[in-house]
Amino acid sequence: MVGDADGLENEMGVRVGQPAPDFTAATYHRGEFGSVSLSDHAGKWVLLCFYPGDFTFV
Amino acid sequence: MSAVADRYPELRELGVEVISVSVDSHFVHKMWDENELSKMVEGGIPFQMASDQNGAVGRAYGVWDESSGVEMRGRFIIDPDGVIQAIEILTPPVGRRIAETIRQIQAFQLVRESGGTKATPAGWMPGDPVLEPGPDLVGRVWEVWNPRMEK
Repeated sequence: MVGDADGLENEMGVRVGQPAPDFTAATYHRGEFGSVSLSDHAGKWVLLCFYPGDFTFV
Repeated sequence: MSAVADRYPELRELGVEVISVSVDSHFVHKMWDENELSKMVEGGIPFQMASDQNGAVGRAYGVWDESSGVEMRGRFIIDPDGVIQAIEILTPPVGRRIAETIRQIQAFQLVRESGGTKATPAGWMPGDPVLEPGPDLVGRVWEVWNPRMEK
């Protein structure tokens, strides 16, 4: 796959100016368990933040 | 994430939905929120804390660290059309600066509201002059902006 443009793009995951991949995940939100999909927020600005793990504080 | 929670009212005023993602289960998110975060942020974490236990979401966004099995610190600003406007990815030991994220959101919102006719120069802060890219601006940016304007 090295040198293959499609493969490279897959490894990079995403790019600015391109659609954000939709996903659905289990959630904890204000005392309740539920789930969220990115598409739930279509039409709104979304700030998506990944972090290494709970109980870490950098 | 408590730093983001602390600025959440401001993000809501800007119409921004926040989703945080880590490999921890939603049960662990609850423990963290109840036992620690709620002591730092009144009322605890106000946004949705998503669980990505198998790393599928992280892989899709290119922030999955295969060797340690966790997500790197990836931050994505997504516009109302679902298009990614900004990406910041840090390795775990260095934390983000939420103030810069908010500044970027404000800049992207200004550009979007202008229908793409305006642009924000380096170091732009809300209230500062904006640029109107076009033939008239070529070679004349110096008249309206210089690097010393960055605070």
